[in-house]
Amino acid sequence: MNEMGVTTNSAFLCLFTSASAFGSPIVQMAQQTVNTAIDSLSAALKSNIIPNQEYFLQGSILDSSVEVLLHRLRGLCDNVDTTLETFHDHEMCFSIRGPNNAQPALQLRVRRSLDHNGMPMQLRYIGQPEIGDKSRPTVLRNSIDIGTSNTVVEFLTELGCRKDFEYLAKGYMFRKGRMKITVFKVFKIDETRKMSGGAFESLTALTHSYLVELSVLAPSGQDAIADDMRCFAEQLRPLVQLEKIDYKRLVHGP
Amino acid sequence: MQREEKQQDAVLEAVISRVNDLKTSIGAMIFKVENEYETLNWPNFLDNFALISGQLTSLTKILSNEKAPALRNFTVLPLMLKPDLDENLARVTEGRLTTFSHDIVPDYLRTKPEPDAELKMMQLEHKANCVTYETAQKQVAAMNKVVGHVWDLVNKAREEWESEAGSRSGAAQTFSLTDTPLLVAAISMGKGLKHTVAPGAMMGGPPPGPQRGPGALGPPQGPPGGIPGQMGPMGKAPSAIKTNIKAAGQMHPYR
Repeated sequence: MNEMGVTTNSAFLCLFTSASAFGSPIVQMAQQTVNTAIDSLSAALKSNIIPNQEYFLQGSILDSSVEVLLHRLRGLCDNVDTTLETFHDHEMCFSIRGPNNAQPALQLRVRRSLDHNGMPMQLRYIGQPEIGDKSRPTVLRNSIDIGTSNTVVEFLTELGCRKDFEYLAKGYMFRKGRMKITVFKVFKIDETRKMSGGAFESLTALTHSYLVELSVLAPSGQDAIADDMRCFAEQLRPLVQLEKIDYKRLVHGP
Repeated sequence: MQREEKQQDAVLEAVISRVNDLKTSIGAMIFKVENEYETLNWPNFLDNFALISGQLTSLTKILSNEKAPALRNFTVLPLMLKPDLDENLARVTEGRLTTFSHDIVPDYLRTKPEPDAELKMMQLEHKANCVTYETAQKQVAAMNKVVGHVWDLVNKAREEWESEAGSRSGAAQTFSLTDTPLLVAAISMGKGLKHTVAPGAMMGGPPPGPQRGPGALGPPQGPPGGIPGQMGPMGKAPSAIKTNIKAAGQMHPYR
């Protein structure tokens, strides 16, 4: 192993002393052998390819008009060759506070699919949304997600996270290029729920509307996608008004 | 001299053509009124007047053109009057005039208006001269006012018609303005999703205050009542002590 290390190191030295010493980091990375996961991660971070920003717009549509919206989306989107893609997810939001009751608690979300029980669960961090001004067409927020096994809830609880709230999302998913459009209904989980990790007995819908979300995951700096999103949002008017919604202002509302 | 004659000829030709057009349009209007009076409506009829007015304007333009000699300087004198049929005349005037006799001269070569018409004009002119300046001003103002009122009425009516046609497409609300913020708040902060813990199940903790209802917000709000987050509606009493490290033996709701 050491010999290997030595040979590779000498290869590096050759690189540095050669004429192409002024090469870009990417070229150097392409030529060097990546040793550890940390290296690959830092390499990815440096070259800005990790999609850790989410651009998104939200709106809602009444239950009575949801069919019309679905038809229109079927006409506009890509993934509707055969049937509509539905999803039925259970999302839980955990939070953990720093020492001394540090105010902004770290929020983590765990999402699992109720339709496909074998699929991995998704652990996601969502940062504070940046609403920006009129020149920014969409809301921008940090978003990092990863697939996990189904022990993630226990793991988080052991870490000290506390479950704040949970809900059920049932709806349809559409894709257009890089954009993902979800139309789903939020259900509140009632207390009389069975514990055997399966059926939820009684659910109440939160409102008589479906929530419509248009989102794109992209590395930071690709603001042009926001304009494409706005154009797409225009096509869904006047059925649904997709816009930037500042939920922090909603905190102080009634 | 020759140039003037040529100019004269040109002007006369132009005048003749314009007058012919005018004659045609008047004839068409009369025909319309006589034959199509059942299907005629006012806007269509007004088109005729518009046409005639346009033709009169072009006629006036020609006459007031610089190159046109002032026709009032010329006089038309009959050189020969015969009570006999003149075929040439009949041909030129399309059968309207057959003889150039003494009877027709006063009518066709008239320079002053007819005696009746002249009398009426004299009366009107006399009347107009008697009106003082102030009265005239007042009358003008009154007329302007009346016209203004009529204008407003017509405009309002038009707007009503137009807006009626536009609003028929309807404002079928397909989305609710109140639901959007509700839903967004629910999935971002859990507003409305935090279930109130049943009072029976809460043994150790303080009873949930009324603020724990739909107004419940996430931890950034501070501890409203110091109630630790629910471990799920299991009916188990969460401990009142706020610790971040949970006991290992706690039952997991998803097992």
